[in-house]
Amino acid sequence: MDLQTCLIVDDSRIIRKVARRIVEGLGFEVDEAADGAEALTYCMAAMPHVVLLDWQMPVMDGLAFLRRLRDLPGGRAPKVLFCTIETRADRIAEALSAGADDYVMKPFDGEILQSKFAEVGAVQSPS
Amino acid sequence: MTPEDFDRLQTLLASRAGFRLTRDRMHLAEHRLGPVARREGYHNVEAMLATLWNKPVASLGWSVIEALLNSETWFRRDRAVFDVFARELMPALTSARPGGKVRLWSAGVSTGQEAYSLAMAALESRADVEIVATDLSQQAIDKAASGLYTSFEIQRGLSAKAMLRWFEQIDEQWRARPELRKAVRFQRANLLDDTADDRQFDVIFCRNVLSDLEPGRRAQALDRLERRLVDDGCLFLGFDERPDGDSVAFRPVAGRRGLYVKAPSAVRRAA
Repeated sequence: MDLQTCLIVDDSRIIRKVARRIVEGLGFEVDEAADGAEALTYCMAAMPHVVLLDWQMPVMDGLAFLRRLRDLPGGRAPKVLFCTIETRADRIAEALSAGADDYVMKPFDGEILQSKFAEVGAVQSPS
Repeated sequence: MTPEDFDRLQTLLASRAGFRLTRDRMHLAEHRLGPVARREGYHNVEAMLATLWNKPVASLGWSVIEALLNSETWFRRDRAVFDVFARELMPALTSARPGGKVRLWSAGVSTGQEAYSLAMAALESRADVEIVATDLSQQAIDKAASGLYTSFEIQRGLSAKAMLRWFEQIDEQWRARPELRKAVRFQRANLLDDTADDRQFDVIFCRNVLSDLEPGRRAQALDRLERRLVDDGCLFLGFDERPDGDSVAFRPVAGRRGLYVKAPSAVRRAA
């Protein structure tokens, strides 16, 4: 089986590092982007299998990225998980209706991330 | 905490709760008992335990026991179980039961996630279910009945979509909506106690309970489960749990991990 790829999009280098360690532990090859514009350029070259996406970022925020991604050829394929400090129910609903597959509220841990990856079918997991 | 304290805690848990407090939990025990000691007004854990060993007070003893039970759980834990239940068992049972009413028991429900996961599945398919959920710990049952979860707890195993559908946000927490809470009846009960209650269930979920019991109490627990399960009912155990060493009443269902039905001998005996 081809190695699954996950693009981690977050303007915090620390969050990217923490998330990278967890996602690599789930068996993914990880790449990083620091904002939505960088992430979009990445996706136009090669669609990742999963995108872990922050909301508030400079240049292009997560929601704007998601809408642009879904309009790209093949842009519906990646599983997109928001991963953000936005925890209000109406914001979560907004993200889902914009095409996010699931939503992680920060702070998170490895168990939460693993269960969310399982929920969107990105990993096979007994849990 | 001294090794002697831990020995006595092991004895307390085994005799009062049938719970096996393994030695690798010593550090965890110390960590969990800190808040209990503070709540009960002691300087530290040692002082609280010294009092407990000198003049056992039932309420203090029980607070200590509850703090040491294993309450680990999450939504849709071992998701295959919930898929088998929702896609296969529930439709089959609904058509087989008079009036379509299906009775479920979540035995050892801890803080409620298993019972609410079942309730969500049932309500989503408009099945008519009665869900009874029990646990040894009053504290766990109170939390389960409140339906309140932190954002850590609510996210573990539950999709954002299901979270928004079935829970409402209250400050930093999430609370099961009234229709979900109404679908489950939570009660404190010890699986090992003899009760006059002999109502039977179509499906029993008793997952990750047996493995925490004292080995000598597992047969007793399985015997209780067998009596409370209808002859053509189903029992779910944890993925790592096997009844065969302790009971001949159940046999595994091939290809359905964790699922057991009554063995023919158990059915004949009941008849």
